[in-house]
Amino acid sequence: MDVFFEFVVRGLVISSPIAFASLGGVFSEKCGIINIALEGIMLVTTFAIVWGALSTGSFLGGLLFAIIAGVVMAGIHAVVTITFKVDQIVSGVAINLLAVGVGRFLSQNIYGQETQSPFNTFVPPEFLGINIMAWILIPVTALVWFVLFKTKFGLRLRSVGENPEAADTLGINVILMQYSGVLLSGVMCALAATVLFPSQWVTGMTGGRGYIALAAMIFGRWHPVGAVAASLLFGYADTFRVMFERQIPIPAQFVQMLPYVLAVVVLALFVGRAYGPAAVGKPYRKGGE
Amino acid sequence: MPLLRMENITKVFPGVVANDGVSFDLQAGEVHALVGENGAGKTTLMKILYGLYGPDKGGIFINGQETSISGPRNAIDQGIGMVHQHFMLVPVFSVLDNIILGEERESTPKLLQRLYLDKRSLRARIAELMERNHLETDLDRPVRELPVGVQQRVEILKLLFRGAEVLVFDEPTAVLTPQEIEGLSRTFRELTAQGKGIVFISHKLDEVLQVADRITVIRRGKIIETMPREGATKAKIADLMVGKPVLLKVDNPQAEPKEEVLRVEHLTAADDRGAMVLSDLSLAVHAGEIVGIAGVEGNGQTELIRTIAEREKIISGEVYLKGENITSWDVRERREAGIAHIPEDRHRYGLLLSFSLADNMVLGRHHRPPFVGPIGWRKTKAIREFARSTIAAYDIRTPGETTPAHALSGGNQQKVIIAREMSADPILLLASQPTRGVDIGATEFIYKQIVEAKLQGRAVLLVSADLDEILSLSDRVCVMYKGKIVYEVARDQATKEQIGFYMMGAEHGDDNE
Ligand SMILES: Nc1ncnc2c1ncn2[C@@H]1O[C@H](COP(=O)(O)OP(=O)(O)OP(=O)(O)O)[C@@H](O)[C@H]1O
Ligand SMILES: [Mg+2]
Repeated sequence: MDVFFEFVVRGLVISSPIAFASLGGVFSEKCGIINIALEGIMLVTTFAIVWGALSTGSFLGGLLFAIIAGVVMAGIHAVVTITFKVDQIVSGVAINLLAVGVGRFLSQNIYGQETQSPFNTFVPPEFLGINIMAWILIPVTALVWFVLFKTKFGLRLRSVGENPEAADTLGINVILMQYSGVLLSGVMCALAATVLFPSQWVTGMTGGRGYIALAAMIFGRWHPVGAVAASLLFGYADTFRVMFERQIPIPAQFVQMLPYVLAVVVLALFVGRAYGPAAVGKPYRKGGE
Repeated sequence: MPLLRMENITKVFPGVVANDGVSFDLQAGEVHALVGENGAGKTTLMKILYGLYGPDKGGIFINGQETSISGPRNAIDQGIGMVHQHFMLVPVFSVLDNIILGEERESTPKLLQRLYLDKRSLRARIAELMERNHLETDLDRPVRELPVGVQQRVEILKLLFRGAEVLVFDEPTAVLTPQEIEGLSRTFRELTAQGKGIVFISHKLDEVLQVADRITVIRRGKIIETMPREGATKAKIADLMVGKPVLLKVDNPQAEPKEEVLRVEHLTAADDRGAMVLSDLSLAVHAGEIVGIAGVEGNGQTELIRTIAEREKIISGEVYLKGENITSWDVRERREAGIAHIPEDRHRYGLLLSFSLADNMVLGRHHRPPFVGPIGWRKTKAIREFARSTIAAYDIRTPGETTPAHALSGGNQQKVIIAREMSADPILLLASQPTRGVDIGATEFIYKQIVEAKLQGRAVLLVSADLDEILSLSDRVCVMYKGKIVYEVARDQATKEQIGFYMMGAEHGDDNE
């Protein structure tokens, strides 16, 4: 295969889980809920996809399991932060810790070993040599953009992240909108799992992609297209490392840092003052105070 | 039959009877003004009408039918809309999105079309609405870029779009320029001509007398009198509001300026987006004089006060206090050197809303004796005692000094700030919009305090959008326009017309002034 083509498609495979997760971040933050639990939710959806595929004997079964797992995990975050108004960062951290345990626990009980699952052959079909779900990123990005900016639902969702009090006085169900946004971020994490590594689950396999996705979301200024573009930037930086690591005469550890250094540098230098949704992170209480 | 009738409404908050058997009605096609002191219960009555509070007693009738109102959404469905003092807008959304939000009705049975936000037909409806009411606005501009007066227009359009028949305005003019106020009263006439009813709450009695058809005075939760505009006078209303004669005039002797206290030189500053907000501004204020800064809001007044009160990012320039260069001092150093500041936005910069009054009263001095003991613990008793005596001295209406600041009415919150700043014994008092949202009695009180400060030899820098306020307090008037002082005049030579002229950006006034 031509090196350039290989770079393009491998890059897409590496980028798209980050991109899906960053779309999840956009959904959540647009309605005002910070979601640093993306990492943990993805960890569980990656387990669920393998589990579902192995137990139903089909990739679609795996996808279904992953979506359910994503919605359940995101649902915990939603209940804790929206209904009980717990600090959103605290809840996110707790879910990330919980997810590690959930993965190991399920793996131990289902497969008798806590760090990895058996191999799964019920993976998505390929298109142009790679997992077709990586290509699905393109229509999904367009869809998210459409939903957020061209539908009534999107307008309401965004209004809740900006000024929930105003939305409330206009008869918009703030709580319902926030639940929708957070649960949709769980669905996005399920899509991330379809590309991440559907052939086997290994503990810790998300490797910080959830956090990179958050950086991408901020770099993309909370816009779905921007977030995906930023994810591609980070993903392709990583791809470059994977493909050319051995040709570069500097220690591998430095090269491996590349995507993370890039994330930090980009956020520090180019984002400047990025304004997210005005009400993000603040629990909504009816009637102020 | 009145459009709206509220009968025998009673609402009790812990420690206060906010509305005590209030009856109020509104006819179609009239402007009914509701006036009263701070804390009299005006906002509470309207919040009950808008479904934000449930009344403890009493009933609401719309077109003669008794009804109950469960919340803002329900209120608007019954034709009652309210323009809040703090606008309920989404700043990053366009005007159009703000108007249609929550009201993007499904027009077709097809699923996709029901989900899709079809702005074309909505836009046409709004355009028609704007034309009919002369409320033209650019529908595609984000709301945050618009001046306050236009934002208010958006709020009105929101209500009209939802078919409001009763429109409640709670102190709508407090933040408007004179031109915008003129525009608003035109809108009132436009709307009443269509048979809508308007409730208008204001502390500015001149405005009330100009636009209202009927005037209702409320004092300490009770209706005192409802009268037609004919025959009503400012003095009469003020007396009814307060329960005793109000002077409506400040005794403000000519200043005898002494040594220079504040001097700013060549101040230049830009905002976040790089636009100039102060350009080469120089100004001096002396002990024993009040310098008034007039100008349409947003011409750099906020930034000027901020560079004096705190360490702000400036491009160039110096600030001197009694000859000492304080440009690089932080807020605490400046306060300790004798600068007191009444900020324009009392909620954001003036108070800790969830803290008690007592704590708010000592802010800025909370770390010093007599409010802390030798190793730093807070002396609660001293704090509360100080608060109690200040509450009495400044006639602050509150159940007690432990009440949280957010439970006070707007005017009383302002009094808390003024009490705190004045009792710090400053050499320089910065007062920004000191009487915004403050009732006539309290305004008189605040004016007296400011004049008193001058007579005690303090230097006062006053910023106000209210020209009458500037003219009745200042010894010297400076007009700010686009970050510069474009005109300066002594009190005895100042005329409203000339100042208004410069406020609008005239380069040179009439030579034959
Ligand atoms: N949510 C609340 N909790 C407790 N007390 C309240 C609350 N809202 C209002 N009050 C009290 O009820 C009284 C009436 O307040 P209200 O805001 O109706 O006055 P107002 O006439 O609108 O005054 P202003 O002119 O200052 O706006 C005040 O004493 C106030 O402290
Ligand atoms: Mg009020």
